[in-house]
Amino acid sequence: MKGFKVSNPGVFTTIQDLGRPGYMKYGIPASGAADRFSAQVANLLVGNPPGAALLEVTLFRLELLALNELIIAVTGGNLSPNLNGKSLPMWQALALREGDRVAFRARKEGFRAYLAIQGGFSMREFLGSRSVFVRGLMGNVLQTGEILEIANPVPPYIPFNKNLQEMIPIFANKNELRVILGPQDDRFTPNGIETFLTSAYRVSSQSDRMGYRLEGSKIEHLKGADIISEPIARGAIQVPGDGLPILLLWDAQVSGGYTKIANVISADLDRLAQIMPGENLQFKSVTLQEAHEALREERAGLERIRKMIEERRP
Amino acid sequence: MLDGLKIRPSGDSAVLVEFENRIDPEVNRSVRSLALAIASEPLPGIKEVLPAYRALMVIYDPLEMEYRLLEKKINFWIKIAKNIDLPPGRFFRLPTVYGAVHGPDLQRVAETTRLSPEKVIQMFFTTRFMVYFIGFICGLAYLGGLPESLRVPRLATPRTLVPAGSVGLAGGQANAISTDQPSGFNYIGRTFVNLYDPHLFPPVSFLSGDEIQFIPVDEEEAVKAKGKLAVDFL
Repeated sequence: MKGFKVSNPGVFTTIQDLGRPGYMKYGIPASGAADRFSAQVANLLVGNPPGAALLEVTLFRLELLALNELIIAVTGGNLSPNLNGKSLPMWQALALREGDRVAFRARKEGFRAYLAIQGGFSMREFLGSRSVFVRGLMGNVLQTGEILEIANPVPPYIPFNKNLQEMIPIFANKNELRVILGPQDDRFTPNGIETFLTSAYRVSSQSDRMGYRLEGSKIEHLKGADIISEPIARGAIQVPGDGLPILLLWDAQVSGGYTKIANVISADLDRLAQIMPGENLQFKSVTLQEAHEALREERAGLERIRKMIEERRP
Repeated sequence: MLDGLKIRPSGDSAVLVEFENRIDPEVNRSVRSLALAIASEPLPGIKEVLPAYRALMVIYDPLEMEYRLLEKKINFWIKIAKNIDLPPGRFFRLPTVYGAVHGPDLQRVAETTRLSPEKVIQMFFTTRFMVYFIGFICGLAYLGGLPESLRVPRLATPRTLVPAGSVGLAGGQANAISTDQPSGFNYIGRTFVNLYDPHLFPPVSFLSGDEIQFIPVDEEEAVKAKGKLAVDFL
């Protein structure tokens, strides 16, 4: 069944689900929605499984024309979504009629929004996932005139009536990122580590789903920036010879030969999705135990929302 | 713990196991044996096992498996790995056209190494390269075995786009890139064999332990390989 026609594809809009973990050994990054929390909540609001394929909208300009009666929910960053020219409420399920127009006008807060559709968006699967990974020739960004199909259409219904806005924690302290030092923190001088943990770093305009280049104080190496190439975990912060850190994210290469000073903790990766180039970041070192506790809390938060939606289902 | 062996966290969901710090076939065999030992005991908390040159990464879910337990298990697998025989690799002979438009850096490699272009090609194609591991992006094979006299630095400014199948070298390494991408390697030839296809499983052509030789052919012969896969050249 047809969902939307793309009137304007926007700056960078892709279909994403929760990605294709398990194929890094073939050189394929896991990809998937950058802000996994917002993506899963959007899906739950329209009655989808949390990992259904949805739209990841970057910045603004996306315009869609509804081709059927549809149930949608918009979550994530506030990119001023509107419906037929009027403000569209985020973090709740909405019914659209054929001919309705959804547009994202201007960034107010955050950087990436998620639009879920009841039944999920259809797209060819690659390695069991519908996440677009352009460099890996797995799908492409939306194109003008493209028709977006629904994967598993059901008769439209609103599964959950409430607005979740007040329960959403994602913008709290989003520019302070917790990190675990290493694995090559011993390749930096004490000064270098100090610089990294006390300076503000600006996200450069050369930043995308692969990684964020950071600008700011140079981090001092002990003896060069090169290592024998090794695997790279999501959220790794590598520091090449110029001393400026690069955060490696959702579509990043899976191996590389630069020293990595630290790694952003898993619980803070979602908030990185809502950072716009030009914003400043700061890093705070935490223990492994603290990182795991933060991850446990984050998952429990999502689980609470899932249960609440399921219990109130009509 | 064994000599020179380190186990340390790489973020909160990955652990890095490091062997001796050198690119060496024996060190790499230890890495690959460990990967097999881990794979022989599938545990739900372990999400990925990534062997590389001299290090191996285990990606895990810390809420399904505690770090301390994983560390213990890894020490156990390291012992098991000593008794594991690695399966033999495959040997690919890929038709490759060298020089001119397909090898824009051949002349410079010749000048840097003070060898004739013919000699560079001869030394390169007679090498049986070993695939140490698969990584970077879209199944790039990290190749070892490049003769010492072909050691040349990376380009000062990487090219923004190098076509898929380009065959090149830099430092002590060689590669054949699998998709169009930026690269700082010196490219001396090109194979038209399809090295990456996202519609196939696995989408990549090589596995660690495989060997590759880049057989020189003329352009007409080389382009006949278009659309064929590496397994057609075993």
